[in-house]
Amino acid sequence: MKKSLKRLIIDSSTKYLYVALYSDFQCLGKYYQSGNNDHSINIMGEIESIFSMNNIKVSDLDEIIVGIGPGSYTGLRIGVVVAKMFGWNNGIPVKTVSSLALIASSFDGDKLILAEMDARRGNSFLGLYAIENGKLLLQDEEQLTNLEEYKSGIQGAYDVVSFGEPNIPLIIHSEIALLCKDIHGLNPNYLRLTEAERNLK
Amino acid sequence: MIVLSVESSCDETSVSLIRDGKEVLSNVVLSQIDIHKEYGGVVPEIASREHIKGVTMVFEEALRNAKIDKKDIDLVAVTKGPGLIGSLLIGVNAAKAFAYANDIQIVGVHHIAGHIYANALTKDLVFPLICLVVSGGHTELILMKEHYNFIKLGETMDDAVGEAYDKVARTIGLGYPGGPLVDKLAATGKPSYHMPDISMGDTFDFSFSGIKSHVINLVHNINQRNEVLNVPDLCTSFQEAVTEVLVSKSIRAINEFDAKMFMIAGGVAANKGLRKKIAERITNVEVVVPEFKYCTDNAAMIGIAGYYQFQKDQKVDDMKLNGSSRLNLI
Ligand SMILES: [Zn+2]
Repeated sequence: MKKSLKRLIIDSSTKYLYVALYSDFQCLGKYYQSGNNDHSINIMGEIESIFSMNNIKVSDLDEIIVGIGPGSYTGLRIGVVVAKMFGWNNGIPVKTVSSLALIASSFDGDKLILAEMDARRGNSFLGLYAIENGKLLLQDEEQLTNLEEYKSGIQGAYDVVSFGEPNIPLIIHSEIALLCKDIHGLNPNYLRLTEAERNLK
Repeated sequence: MIVLSVESSCDETSVSLIRDGKEVLSNVVLSQIDIHKEYGGVVPEIASREHIKGVTMVFEEALRNAKIDKKDIDLVAVTKGPGLIGSLLIGVNAAKAFAYANDIQIVGVHHIAGHIYANALTKDLVFPLICLVVSGGHTELILMKEHYNFIKLGETMDDAVGEAYDKVARTIGLGYPGGPLVDKLAATGKPSYHMPDISMGDTFDFSFSGIKSHVINLVHNINQRNEVLNVPDLCTSFQEAVTEVLVSKSIRAINEFDAKMFMIAGGVAANKGLRKKIAERITNVEVVVPEFKYCTDNAAMIGIAGYYQFQKDQKVDDMKLNGSSRLNLI
């Protein structure tokens, strides 16, 4: 019998921290909770408890999928650094996925899905997705812009989705998680330069 | 006992391996100083982005240089604060993930304890001792009666001494980081400018905002009158006043608590003017100054502090260990 594929999925780009352990398409344990700047306190403790409940060690993992943003910078980095460390330490393949795709995957409907995260100062991180033949597909480049302006340019009916628990089987089927070829080069996708860099230009 | 330590509280990503709290097997420091130079100071968000970029590479190099197998590591020690929160969280979570993946215990270490223990690389500590902590974020006089026991005798009421140095450097148009440049120029001038009294009476507390404002006003007035500022003389005058208050309060603390040893710690411990004055004036007890390379932020100092912290009570942290931008040593 073929051994099942063990996957750890992490996303900390929003105020919801998401950690899940999958065996093939079956969820063995998960944590999906809204927090207040406490991802750093919770992430490793939740991984530890999910792993110990399933009697699994980091070295048993076959793959890690991590949400690399865009999103809230400090929170986002916490999930990415844990994925990066496990990937490097144990030589586990790490796949990266847009945190907006994870939000979009939570929604089910026949309209377009506009995944949206508040990015302050009237701007949002936006990703327009559609579900076709059971696959989640990105319709337009993800961007940082004004939500209302962006909406006015969308052709067709859509739903705006701002949060939701990721649908991992859909993400896996959609093949939108991309293998990171150089673990040292794994970095968040901020979609924006820092203010200091923008001011320098 | 082998300790792997991690430091990321400001703009240096560093990992070190230490044997028995003494022998530095490796100490890799990835400095961002050239990146932040352009902005005239450390930009926190850029610092965090650089930490996550470099972190696994620094771990890898530290392990390779030390020729240590992960299996042989007994303890992970990581700076938990104080410092820039975004920067701290990279080190703390990298360290927790590493400790968990390799089934090693972890301790969170206070950054200043690290600076103090950098001296233990030079000499075995003898108690009671007085330590003058001087850096861009701290100015404190600490009494230690035994290992990992810190009593704060006094601290700055406003700016840290390193902060005042950087501000003075900026006022006279020197680059960043300005402290070392002021120190260098101070060696070439005369103390010809009048400086205000910053002695703060009989306390062990310090205050540097007054002298900082004085220098800013002085330079402003000289410019307004179209006179020429003697930059070396200004540096000498400022440095003379600052090091005088640091050294004289240290001497008072040594005498009052019958200290057997005196040490300095922190980035400003690299200041040559301060070292010279200490060497001239503090002669009745053993004086320890950290090696230059261990004055600035590095993981080796965190590893030694973590070793002694663990030796004291065998207490370790769990996976909830968090970083904290403000954190008292005592
Ligand atoms: Zn420091």
